[in-house]
Amino acid sequence: MNKTFIDLAALFVGVVLAFILQDNLPPMAEFHGAHVLLVPLVFCYAAMVLPFPAMLAAAFLTGFLSDLMYLHIVGGKVEIPIGFSIVYFVIFGCFANGFQPAIKSRNVTPFVVLSGVGTSLFLLLQFLAITLQRGGFIWEPSVSWRILAPGVMATLIAPLFYWTLSHMDRFIPDGSRKMRPIKR
Amino acid sequence: MNRLNIALVVAVLAVAIYFSTISPGAMQSLQSGFMSMLSPFLRTGSAVQENIGSVGRRLKTLDELEVENRKLTGENRELRAANSLLNELEAENSRLRMALDYRDRSSFKLMPARIISRDASTWWNTVRINRGFEDGVEADQPVLTDQGLVGKTTTVSKNEAIVVLITDETCRIGAKIESTREQGIITGLRVQENSAEGLLQMNFLSKNAQISPGQEVRTAGVAHGSFPPGIVIGKVKEFRRRALDGQAVVEPAVNLAAAEDVFVLIGKK
Repeated sequence: MNKTFIDLAALFVGVVLAFILQDNLPPMAEFHGAHVLLVPLVFCYAAMVLPFPAMLAAAFLTGFLSDLMYLHIVGGKVEIPIGFSIVYFVIFGCFANGFQPAIKSRNVTPFVVLSGVGTSLFLLLQFLAITLQRGGFIWEPSVSWRILAPGVMATLIAPLFYWTLSHMDRFIPDGSRKMRPIKR
Repeated sequence: MNRLNIALVVAVLAVAIYFSTISPGAMQSLQSGFMSMLSPFLRTGSAVQENIGSVGRRLKTLDELEVENRKLTGENRELRAANSLLNELEAENSRLRMALDYRDRSSFKLMPARIISRDASTWWNTVRINRGFEDGVEADQPVLTDQGLVGKTTTVSKNEAIVVLITDETCRIGAKIESTREQGIITGLRVQENSAEGLLQMNFLSKNAQISPGQEVRTAGVAHGSFPPGIVIGKVKEFRRRALDGQAVVEPAVNLAAAEDVFVLIGKK
């Protein structure tokens, strides 16, 4: 139980740090104003290393913070309500949790692929929710860029993120990453 | 997946659905609290980003500074003179109004603010300013610069506020075109290539309106609206005649990517 709490606390810090970082990273003008999203990547890692009940708590926490961060209310009208991201991260987390054996055996491919897919899917669902609210379906090249480019960026960042966390293992008192022995 | 896990999933989804049903006001309060908590960290990040970005800009030569100083001193003297003249005119205006028993026009107080973060999300054009409810800022108050309208406040926390820019599709403004009787609704586009140079669309204009590029567009100041009349929004770039109405493409007066210092209209003086 103690180990799970430490992991959840580490996830909370990681998600908040990811929010601060992605909030300060300017949009990529070359990619039609696409943003670098780090939160789905951090959650994807947590979903693949945490036990199922802890993953659900992580999904709730990440989704709740994500909804609060990007809640858009103009004139009393809510675009995407609180709860949207929670539902998304729960469903995505259930799927990612199934790949736990892969990450235990130090196979990083599912994590890299799921990070990219999870990030782009999150943006696609946000766009569809907005379209449903505002009406009239508009699809321009910049929409594709803004959905796909963050996914590609997440795919590129994921191995570096995994490598960094693997090397931080020894500093975490009792993290779930201890499941993977690191020989030095 | 065992029964306990299924029950947990159902419970979490039920809580998520419950959250989605709470009122927009309650959601805004939650967001405001969250912003207040996260504010010191986000501000530190913004400050670091600003310092890194402005290293090159800050390295000015003494000659350049002297020229700038001379120019600003001259401008300051000019503005002081104009201000004293305007004060006299205001006093005279008040006297005449009193003499005529004329209803005083409402005037607003400008609260200076600084943009501390911009373009934080993918789908919405918003910025954050360093003024919150402690400074008297409330939701739905206009934000502008000396050049024109920037947007309006949405969620307001203790020391920060989110401003939805005029280039966002959800920011709707009643507007009129100068030297015509044409009024319409201005909105941004759903996906802006670059919110800085993003264009606006003015809908519900007469099909046969005589509108030409370069005409100024100002707020109409509709009843119970957020914006008082007469604030510059931008200039007409193009006028399109459609089947039922006319649509003007408007170029914003303010360069939203470069704007750093803004003002919030915080109510009557």
